[in-house]
Amino acid sequence: MTPALEVTNLNKRFGGLPATKQVSLSVMPGERRLIIGPNGAGKTTLFNLITGDLTPDAGSVKLFGQELLQLPTQQRVHLGLARTYQILTLFPKETLCHNVVLALLGLSQMRWNVWTFLSGQRHLYDTAREALALVGLGASAERTVAETSYGERRRLEMAMALAQKPKVLLLDEPLAGLSQEERQHVRDLLSRVPRDVTIVMIEHDMDSALAFAERITLLHYGEVIVEGTRAQVVADPRTKEVYLGD
Amino acid sequence: MRRNAIVAVAIGLAAIAVPLIITSEFYVNLASQVLIYALLAVSLNLLLGYGGMVSLGHGSFVGLASYAAVLLLNAGYGQLPSATLAILFSTACGGLFGLLALRASGIGFLMITLALGQIVWGIAYRANTITGGDNGLRYATRPHPFGIDIDGAASFYWFTLIVFAVALFFIWRVTRSPFGASLQGARDQPRRMRMLGHNVWLIQWVAFVLASFWGSVAGLLYVYYNLFISPHAISLQQSAEVLLMAILGGASTLTGPIVGAVIITLVKNVVSTYFERWNSLLGAIFVVVILFMPFGIVPGVRQLWHRWRAPKKLERAA
Repeated sequence: MTPALEVTNLNKRFGGLPATKQVSLSVMPGERRLIIGPNGAGKTTLFNLITGDLTPDAGSVKLFGQELLQLPTQQRVHLGLARTYQILTLFPKETLCHNVVLALLGLSQMRWNVWTFLSGQRHLYDTAREALALVGLGASAERTVAETSYGERRRLEMAMALAQKPKVLLLDEPLAGLSQEERQHVRDLLSRVPRDVTIVMIEHDMDSALAFAERITLLHYGEVIVEGTRAQVVADPRTKEVYLGD
Repeated sequence: MRRNAIVAVAIGLAAIAVPLIITSEFYVNLASQVLIYALLAVSLNLLLGYGGMVSLGHGSFVGLASYAAVLLLNAGYGQLPSATLAILFSTACGGLFGLLALRASGIGFLMITLALGQIVWGIAYRANTITGGDNGLRYATRPHPFGIDIDGAASFYWFTLIVFAVALFFIWRVTRSPFGASLQGARDQPRRMRMLGHNVWLIQWVAFVLASFWGSVAGLLYVYYNLFISPHAISLQQSAEVLLMAILGGASTLTGPIVGAVIITLVKNVVSTYFERWNSLLGAIFVVVILFMPFGIVPGVRQLWHRWRAPKKLERAA
């Protein structure tokens, strides 16, 4: 079976500093993969290389067998890639609904229409509200991002990504900075995402995401140190050494 | 929403009535000039306000459209073919300029548009055999659209008003359209927009072409009004002035640049006849507006209006 996402020998240096060293990983369709590693391990850099925010020095990134590296970011998105950001990059003055509508527009031919009123596109707004309801923000659809809490913004990030019905979803620390209750909410939400969506999730705090992961990749100083099933990685002494501490 | 429509209709009617109320030809002509500059500023604002791209070369489209129209008319083309080809040519140049300027963003974009504007100015100034150099070129006569004579001050004003209204309507639709939303998204979060599947570069290029198209229309009106084009009309100062009109009136709004164009054109033409230091007055206006209404006059007045209304609403509620 073709992997949903296949990264081969990916290298990226920032000046003299190698951020990603010969990283290879392959995620099967429907898999829930967790990428863990201490600060500066190159987790977000890996995402940036996959999405095209950064260009690697060498290597290959394939989505369902198709090479992505020559493609600009937006075309990778059209192939079924979506991501959320660790540092929130939303549209603060706009309503939550409008934020999701922008996500929907990104994959719709309508985005080039200069004549119709966007506000008249009922189906876009209905779909956007559904996506917001899915993450528990249904009642907040008409509030602006600036009026929402950090936890709500994180969930908006998820709504925007899920609304695009991606094939491969990259989540960059979706649990960071959330309260216990909010975390539980996001975890429930993730468990309800259908299996035709492959999810790769970065998490700094391993414990909070452990239940979610089927396979885990441990990055350290830009290198894959350990990879395997949840049990294997947790049991591996190298995991203890670099990540969990003694 | 309903009140906005009423205000728009009232302002529209007042604009139609201008030549009936003001009989002085000087002021009617001035009103035509205001409209031409307002169109230039509104079209530039597609880039500035909605796209977040500061261009210092927008005046070049006045030059490109005007010179092209003059040269085509002189070459024996009729009024309508000259006008059409001139706008096509000028917009195509806009497409090319967009390709070059959008290599960069921010200050880089500004500098490239500045350079392109200066190149157009330089060609107009130095290519004596074609452009007449510093002496400029005369446009033989105003067209007679549908056989209607627009040589008089009032009829030309109405002609300009119709073109302006059509342009404003189109630009308004653009700002409310899905494309307009994408353009504003690309201004605020280009990286995120890419990650949502938007082609940010192409969005900005299309906006650049739209802006240059309406800028070219304003340029054509300019040469119809003056029946003359010279490098002076496309100097850096002109481009900067249009930019200031948009900023003064409020670049975040559709109508702001119109207000800016009214104020700057009036101060330049009316106050200057009474008051030698009109430039200082303009400067003072800028300082005051920037201090008290940093987002421009229209957003500033809107804010004041809401502040004035808010306590009343509370009173009524109580």
